[in-house]
Amino acid sequence: MNGLGFVWREALAGLRRNVTMSVAMVLTTAISLGLLGAGLLAVRTIDRTQDLYYSQLAVQVALDEPTSAGDANCSSPTCTGLREQLQGDPLVSAVSYESRDQAYQRFLRIYAGQSILQLVRPQSLPATLRVTPKDPTRGDALVAEYTGKPGVRNVVDQRALVQDLFTFLASVRNAAFGLASIQALAALLLISNTIQVSAFTRRTEVGIMRLVGATRWYTQVPFLIEAVITGVVGAVLATGGLVLGKLFFIDRLLSGRLISNAIPAVGMSDVLLFVAPLLVVVGAAIATATGYVTLRLYVRN
Amino acid sequence: MLRLENVTKLYPTSVRPALDDVSMDVDRGEFVFLIGPSGSGKSTLLRLLLREEAPSSGNVFVANWNVARLANRKVPKLRQRMGCVFQDFRLLGNRTVAENIAFALEVTGKSEHTIRTVVPEMLELVGLDGKSERMPAELSGGEAQRVAIARALANRPLVLLADEPTGNLDPETSDDIMLLLDRINRAGTTVVMATHDRQIVDAMRRRVVELHLGKLARDDARGVYGASR
Repeated sequence: MNGLGFVWREALAGLRRNVTMSVAMVLTTAISLGLLGAGLLAVRTIDRTQDLYYSQLAVQVALDEPTSAGDANCSSPTCTGLREQLQGDPLVSAVSYESRDQAYQRFLRIYAGQSILQLVRPQSLPATLRVTPKDPTRGDALVAEYTGKPGVRNVVDQRALVQDLFTFLASVRNAAFGLASIQALAALLLISNTIQVSAFTRRTEVGIMRLVGATRWYTQVPFLIEAVITGVVGAVLATGGLVLGKLFFIDRLLSGRLISNAIPAVGMSDVLLFVAPLLVVVGAAIATATGYVTLRLYVRN
Repeated sequence: MLRLENVTKLYPTSVRPALDDVSMDVDRGEFVFLIGPSGSGKSTLLRLLLREEAPSSGNVFVANWNVARLANRKVPKLRQRMGCVFQDFRLLGNRTVAENIAFALEVTGKSEHTIRTVVPEMLELVGLDGKSERMPAELSGGEAQRVAIARALANRPLVLLADEPTGNLDPETSDDIMLLLDRINRAGTTVVMATHDRQIVDAMRRRVVELHLGKLARDDARGVYGASR
């Protein structure tokens, strides 16, 4: 295209002419996109954590004392009846039986070397039917259905136990998105204002351009390119910030003793291959849209 | 070349129309003075021809364009065929003389090659060959207006519109500019010039169109400024 060089030079000149404003615009955009990126990483981590847990979580149907006692393979009529009923249930994908002895062995393994072992006898542990629901989020329906049946002591949906963790991650995500949208508004206003200032500074040039018959490509595209450069540079800075945040904050936090293995690590590929391209696209798109609307509303062509 | 048919222009903030039922024709190659006191509608007429404004009623034609009905995206094409000069020159202070002329070619998408040939041609035409690298601040008023004329002619317009081109110049320099405009006109470019300058109009003896309070007051083929004031 003939005027590509012209348009590009004008856009760069515009950014240079008003350096302080350009820097403010880029930084605000970067922070906004960085927060958006953090929110996206949180979403991804939540999904992964849910996958990790849901594949292992089950609804535990604990059997009462008479049914639990001395039944090594669910041969009592009560237990068999319950198992068959569960296997025929449309909500259920698999059922397995864990006898009181097996439960005790697992308990010994998990809490090896801890003092709680001295308090626990096999008799205090129930035999259990471990039910894998077809849809992990529908565990509550199973709880409601099987609680109080003959031979059942209680029904526990393990998913409910880890709900707090998901609630925490979700609130991290919401906070990130909330801050991101406030920052995005600030970035939008700054971009819009900068374009107006830029257009005002160049009003003589633009006036002459219009007079000699320059098309919109020449009169308006330089301003749009200015905005797009801001969006893209902001996205690159935001990605850099996320990489640093991952290396020096998230990695350390997730490898800490408290939650190691409870939450899967955030990979570098998540930042660079998933979030970064999205930020560039979102940054450029928002900047272009803002620029276009500003030119339409405030700057005569 | 130019035709106004019963053109009325009423600005929203004004009670009296800036132009009131004005009809006129300008043929190819004519030189027309547009005279009248401030507020008589001269500038409005030029703005209508450039489609900076649309008429409230009536039709404006430039060559084959029905200017008032022209789609927005075609307005640049119209303006590329109209050259404009003003009292205040409107040069870009941060560009040299040559760059100011090149600017008009550059922003209308002309090739590097065209720019390299046309700019020296235009400089020669207006008599500024040696001054291509000067900055506008280093030029006299007459020289600055010559640059503006060179820029206006760079895209080979059908019509040159001049709004008080000698308004900021002393009489001697004004005469030089008029000689230049006369030469350009004789080379085939239609010229429409709005002016207050009685001396110039009387000296040139060209067609005079007088506007008064937005109405066409007089249209003389070889007129003078008039004795009315």
